[in-house]
Amino acid sequence: MPCRLWPPINKEDYRGVWVYLEREGDRLKDVGLELLGKARDLAQKLGGVEVAGVLVAGGEDLAREAIYHGADKVVIIDNPDLKIYTPAEYAEAIARVVQKYRPEIFLIGATKRGRELAAYIANTLATGITADCTALEIDPKTRDLLQIRPTFGGTQLATIRTPQRRPQMASVRPGVFPKPPRDPSRTGEIIVEKVEITKRRTRLVSIEKRLEKDIADLPPVESSDIVVAGGRGLGTAEGFKLLVELAKLLNGTVGASLMAVRAGWVPHTRQIGQTGKTIRPKLYIAVGISGAIQHLMGITEAKMIIAINPDPHAPIMENADYAVVGDYKQIIPMLIEELKRLKNQS
Amino acid sequence: MKIVVLTKAAVPLSSAIRIDPKTGTLIREGVPLTVNIWDRDAVEFALRLKDRYGGEVIALSMAPPSGIPALESLIGMGVDRAILASDRAFAGADTWATAHVLAKTIEKYIPDYDLVVAGEETIDSTTAHIGAQTASWLGVPYIYYVYDAEVKGRTLVVRRFLEDEGVDEVYEVDMPAVISVLKGSQIPREVRLSRKLNAREYIQVVSNKELGLDPECVGLRGSPTLVAGMAPATYPPRKKVVIQGEPSEVVKKLVEILKSEGVV
Ligand SMILES: Cc1cc2nc3c(=O)[nH]c(=O)nc-3n(C[C@H](O)[C@H](O)[C@H](O)COP(=O)(O)OP(=O)(O)OC[C@H]3O[C@@H](n4cnc5c(N)ncnc54)[C@H](O)[C@@H]3O)c2cc1C
Ligand SMILES: Cc1cc2nc3c(=O)[nH]c(=O)nc-3n(C[C@H](O)[C@H](O)[C@H](O)COP(=O)(O)OP(=O)(O)OC[C@H]3O[C@@H](n4cnc5c(N)ncnc54)[C@H](O)[C@@H]3O)c2cc1C
Repeated sequence: MPCRLWPPINKEDYRGVWVYLEREGDRLKDVGLELLGKARDLAQKLGGVEVAGVLVAGGEDLAREAIYHGADKVVIIDNPDLKIYTPAEYAEAIARVVQKYRPEIFLIGATKRGRELAAYIANTLATGITADCTALEIDPKTRDLLQIRPTFGGTQLATIRTPQRRPQMASVRPGVFPKPPRDPSRTGEIIVEKVEITKRRTRLVSIEKRLEKDIADLPPVESSDIVVAGGRGLGTAEGFKLLVELAKLLNGTVGASLMAVRAGWVPHTRQIGQTGKTIRPKLYIAVGISGAIQHLMGITEAKMIIAINPDPHAPIMENADYAVVGDYKQIIPMLIEELKRLKNQS
Repeated sequence: MKIVVLTKAAVPLSSAIRIDPKTGTLIREGVPLTVNIWDRDAVEFALRLKDRYGGEVIALSMAPPSGIPALESLIGMGVDRAILASDRAFAGADTWATAHVLAKTIEKYIPDYDLVVAGEETIDSTTAHIGAQTASWLGVPYIYYVYDAEVKGRTLVVRRFLEDEGVDEVYEVDMPAVISVLKGSQIPREVRLSRKLNAREYIQVVSNKELGLDPECVGLRGSPTLVAGMAPATYPPRKKVVIQGEPSEVVKKLVEILKSEGVV
C-alpha cells in the first residue's frame, strides 16, 4: 500500500518532458536551453513525446528562443505579481502549471535559484526529486527516468528512480549537458497561462551586484572553450598571473582547484569540480593540480586534458591526454614567449 | 522568538562510507556521526538572533541514536534544548520522507515556532532539498542562502547572497518562515565543556509511537525516490601521452599539439 498522502495517480495520464526556463533579467539562462537539448533526447526515447518549457513572467521573444533551441511548446506564466522573483511564489505558480499539464518528466537547472525552487515544487506535486544529476536515461520497459548522480565524492554513481510518482523530477547543474544549436526555423506553440497565487509572503526589497574582485576580466569558466586552471602547486598568487597571460593568448579563461580558491588566489566562482563548476571545454590545461577525484568530476567531459606537474604519479597525469612532467615556472613562461612569437608572425 | 534549527547528524567525510546493498542507502547506524559542518553556520545564526531578540533555540534532528553526541555538542554551543526524531521506521528516508518527519515533529512539539533555520546543504548527500521541503510541508514561505537578518514585527528582513549571479538581495519574509543559511558565512562559537557535560538532560528523543505517522509515509517505504543501483564511477579513457625532457623541447611539443588541435 503506497503512502496515503500521495494522491493516487494514473501514470498513463502523464506525458511529455518539461523544462523550467530560468530568466536572468531579460534573457534566458543557458542551463534551461541545455536541458531542452537533453529533453529532446529523452522525448525521442519515450516515443516522440512533446518537449515543453515553462517560463515565469517572460516575453514571447524568450519563448521563441526556447523553441529555437528545441521546445515544441512554451507556457508563459502571466501574473504581474511574478515579474520579480521570490521563491515561495514562483515555486507555487510553477507547480500549478505542471500539475495542470501533467508531464512525465520535469527538469530544473540547479542554479542557486533553481536549487531553491526545485524541492518545493516536488513536494507540492507529492513526487520525488533527485539533485544534481549528471546523466539521465530512460528505462524503455517502465518509461522510468533513470536519474544518475555522483555520490560519495564522485567515487560512486547512484541511479535513482521515482517508480510510483509522476512527474519524475531531477535537477542538473549548469554545463553538464551541451547547449543545442539555435535553429530559427523551428516553430512551436506559445501558451499564456494566468496563474493566481495565494497571498504573497515574500517581498524583494533590494538587489545589488556584489563587486567581487576577480583576477582579470576573463569570461566565466562555463562558457569558455579553453580553460587554463591552477592549483596549490602554483605556490603564489603571482603564479596565477602567468596563467591569466596564457589564457588570454589562447582566447580562453582561467579556472582553479579548491585549494587555489582557499588560498585566496582566485574567486570561488572559478572553482572546478564536485563543489564547483562542471565544465566541458575543448581544452583543459591543469597546472599544479594533483587531480583529486572531486576535481576530476568537473572535467570528465573535457575534450582534451593537458596536465603540467613535476610529479609523474599525480592522479591528474593518469587522467590527461598529455602529461607534461615539469615545473610550471620553467614551462609556462617559455610557452607564453613561443605563442607570442607565433602571433607576431601571423 | 522561538527558533528551530534543523541539523543533520552526518557521516563525517573522514570515515569510511557504508552503503546498504539491498536499499542502496547510506548506513548511519553504528557510525559515529557528527554535526553536518554547514549546520554549525545555521546554529550560530540562530544563536545570534536569540542573543539579539531573546527567546529559545531548539535543535531538531532525524537520526538513529548514534546522532545523540552531535546534538550534545550543539547544546554545548548554546542551544537551549534538542529533539531527536528517531525510529527504525525512519531509516532509508529520501528527502521527501525526511522533511515529512521534521515538519510533523515541529507541528507536534514546537507548534508556536517563529522561524526554522536550516543549513545550506549537507556534506554527505548535498541535495539542499530539506529546507524547501520542510517549508512546503509546513505551508510557510522560505528563502535560501541567508547570511544576515533583522526582525521587524512579524517579518524577517533577510540579506542573502547568490554566488552564481554574484548578487546580494534583501527580502522581507512573513513569519513563521523557513530559511537556509549560506554555508561558510558565520563563525560558529566554541563548544563549552561545562554545558556539554550534562547535555543529555536537554535532549528529548521521540519515536514514531509519539509522532504517530503512517509507517507507509516514512523511511524507505514512504520515499518517492528509490536508489535502484550504485556503481563505481568510470571516467572516459585519456591518451596518457607522457611528455618530458628539456623545457625547450617540452614547449616545442606542446606548441605542436596546440597547433594540431587548431588552438593556435
Ligand atoms: C566534499 C569535498 C568536495 C571537494 N570539492 C572539490 C572541488 O570542487 N574542486 C577541487 O578542486 N577540489 C575539491 N575538493 C578537494 C580535493 O579533494 C583536493 O584536496 C583538491 O582538489 C587539491 O587541490 P590541488 O590539486 O590544487 O592541490 P594539491 O593536491 O596539493 O596538489 C598540488 C599539485 O601541484 C603539483 N606541483 C607542485 N609544484 C609544482 C610546480 N612547480 N609546477 C607544477 N605543479 C606543481 C604537485 O605535484 C601536486 O600534484 C573537495 C574535497 C571534498 C572532501
Ligand atoms: C549519496 C546520497 C544521495 C542522495 N540523493 C538523494 C536525492 O537526490 N533525492 C532524495 O530525495 N534523497 C536523496 N538522498 C537521501 C537524503 O540524503 C536523505 O533524505 C537525507 O536525510 C536528507 O538529505 P540531505 O542530506 O541531502 O540534506 P540537505 O537537503 O542537503 O540538507 C539541508 C539542511 O537540511 C537539514 N537537514 C537535512 N537532513 C536532516 C535531518 N536528517 N535531520 C534534521 N535536519 C536535516 C540541515 O539543516 C541541512 O543543512 C540521498 C542519500 C545519499 C546517501
